Amino acid sequence: MRFLAGIAKLICAVNLVIGNIFAWLSLGIVLVCFTVVVQRYVFAISYVWMQDLYIWLNGAMFTAVAGFALLRDDHVRVDIFYRPAKMARRALIDLIGVVVFLLPFCWVVYVYSIPFVQRAWGYSEGSANVGGMPGLYILKAFIIGFAALLALQGVAWIIRSILVLSGNAALVPKSIQYSRDQIPADHPQGAV
Amino acid sequence: MDPILIGEMLAALMFFGVIGFLLLGFPVAFTLAGVSLLFGAVGMGFGVFDPSNFGSLPNRYIGFMTNEVLVAVPLFIFMGVMLERSQIAEQLLLTMGKLFGNMRGGLGISVVLVGAMLAASTGVVGATVVTMGLISLPAMLRAGYDPKLATGVICASGTLGQIIPPSTVLIFMGDMLSGINSQVQMAKGNFAPMPVSVGDLFAGALLPGILLVSLYLAYVLFKAVTAPASCPATPVPADEKGELLRDFFVALVPPLLLIFAVLGSILGGIATPTEAASVGAVGAMVLAALRWRLSFRILRETMIATATITSMVFVILLGASVFSIVFRMMGGDNLVHEFLSNLPGGPLAAVAVVMIIMFFLGFILDTFEIIFIVIPITAPVLLMLDINPIWLGVLVGVNLQTSFLTPPFGFALFYLRGVAPADLPTSAIYKGILPFVLLQVVAIAILFAFPQIVTWLPKVISG
Repeated sequence: MRFLAGIAKLICAVNLVIGNIFAWLSLGIVLVCFTVVVQRYVFAISYVWMQDLYIWLNGAMFTAVAGFALLRDDHVRVDIFYRPAKMARRALIDLIGVVVFLLPFCWVVYVYSIPFVQRAWGYSEGSANVGGMPGLYILKAFIIGFAALLALQGVAWIIRSILVLSGNAALVPKSIQYSRDQIPADHPQGAV
Repeated sequence: MDPILIGEMLAALMFFGVIGFLLLGFPVAFTLAGVSLLFGAVGMGFGVFDPSNFGSLPNRYIGFMTNEVLVAVPLFIFMGVMLERSQIAEQLLLTMGKLFGNMRGGLGISVVLVGAMLAASTGVVGATVVTMGLISLPAMLRAGYDPKLATGVICASGTLGQIIPPSTVLIFMGDMLSGINSQVQMAKGNFAPMPVSVGDLFAGALLPGILLVSLYLAYVLFKAVTAPASCPATPVPADEKGELLRDFFVALVPPLLLIFAVLGSILGGIATPTEAASVGAVGAMVLAALRWRLSFRILRETMIATATITSMVFVILLGASVFSIVFRMMGGDNLVHEFLSNLPGGPLAAVAVVMIIMFFLGFILDTFEIIFIVIPITAPVLLMLDINPIWLGVLVGVNLQTSFLTPPFGFALFYLRGVAPADLPTSAIYKGILPFVLLQVVAIAILFAFPQIVTWLPKVISG
């Protein structure tokens, strides 16, 4: 069990680092796009590669941080029944969800993107715009990264579910610990 | 059995299956994709689905990743989060509350106006409800407001961001509708169609947004007249009156200028929504810096929130793409087409049916899921029936604002529950939102009867 917990911790560390790094791209989008606006409207010049750059930064950002967002449980849920459920039940739902929904999705994205990305790498594909950015093949590879990071975080969630369901909830890495079982609405903690 | 029939039956089952499985509570994006894959596998077994169709998936994904229009989404989120984290929204609320404090219902009115202003500066819904729940709700309750009125007005005003431009929902909708519209016009033999842009949708949503704000204001005033005890005045102490003018210029004027600059340049056709959004994001940073609030910590929080919210929304789009592929290839499109084109009552009845379905989906799902699922399968049919795409988009936006408001799964209600005082019963929040959901339905009816409210401004602007 400790070994499993170690793996989960390692995966979370990877996604935490990647999330914290790629979140900076949001500032990059703002600054590059603003620069393009100033250049166009104030100096009447424009560089096609810069126009490509801020668009691509968005593509790179939202694919790269998807696993990090899963770690933080930021992907929206329909949680009418999930939120008030006991921790063991939430762990069971997450276990089923990862195995039946998330991992097959990542696998399909991976399998069908590999030839697509390989083709782009084969001729170092660049932007379709004249004077645009080189390295579209790198951006395309982010689709693989997206599937891989999500799947990894999914594995961490599977481990979390196993730990919780086997009575080892204390071993779950801090960054993905479940919130405690909820006190029924209208009964604030102090009043129970 | 006829394979076409099997495919269509599976597609219809999948639609309801997705909704059923979503109730489990696993993240929406992956449930959507996973359930669609399961049905795709069943379809393979019956020989009605060919998995090689997934070959188009990476093309779609790189299309979203290199889409210029959609970059406006993270930019507007950045702007909104920055305004919220640097407490500019808070200042706005406090100042506006003092401005209107002397009249009955004044705090309620200030909430509606600030909600509209925040909506006009960002497209994010959650932050606004939380801010108002933290600041205005205690103030209103202290003043003796009826908790139902207080919570209702906060939830409704806090979700105006959905429809008042610039709204992230309208950005996605504009991008989808422009693609669908050009395909439909081609199919009809019109090879030089009028393009539909996000800017058009923004222009179309402006008057309906003002209509909603007026309806909310009218309701608060109505309460102030018929039930004065539900919304008493909160006179400003004499010693604070002198500061009011200063507060007005410090707290109110700069964000207003930013809003006019951003919205004006989009509606005036000077800048694209994406360009204007980048100016708005930089402007928000400047406003924060002017108040000595642009610390590294706030910048970092803003970046992380922007990145994760953006990813959350786009990943739903990626998951919904899997749904679209499976649904379409199993013949679901034909099913929808036959159903919607053969309704008694013609095109308008078809729009009404789609609106009603979306309204009820809103009880369970929220806006992004609904538009990513429903628009791609219904809009082609509706546009084929000569429905105006801008009108359709705005109508959907107003309609789906209710998805944040309707129990059991209304986001705004949850956000507010999260920050409301513990002794405020949840039932008050649920009851309080009812009149505002009705107002929303009234607004939809008005837009249905007078489509010009939507279509007039875009026409004037584009000449």
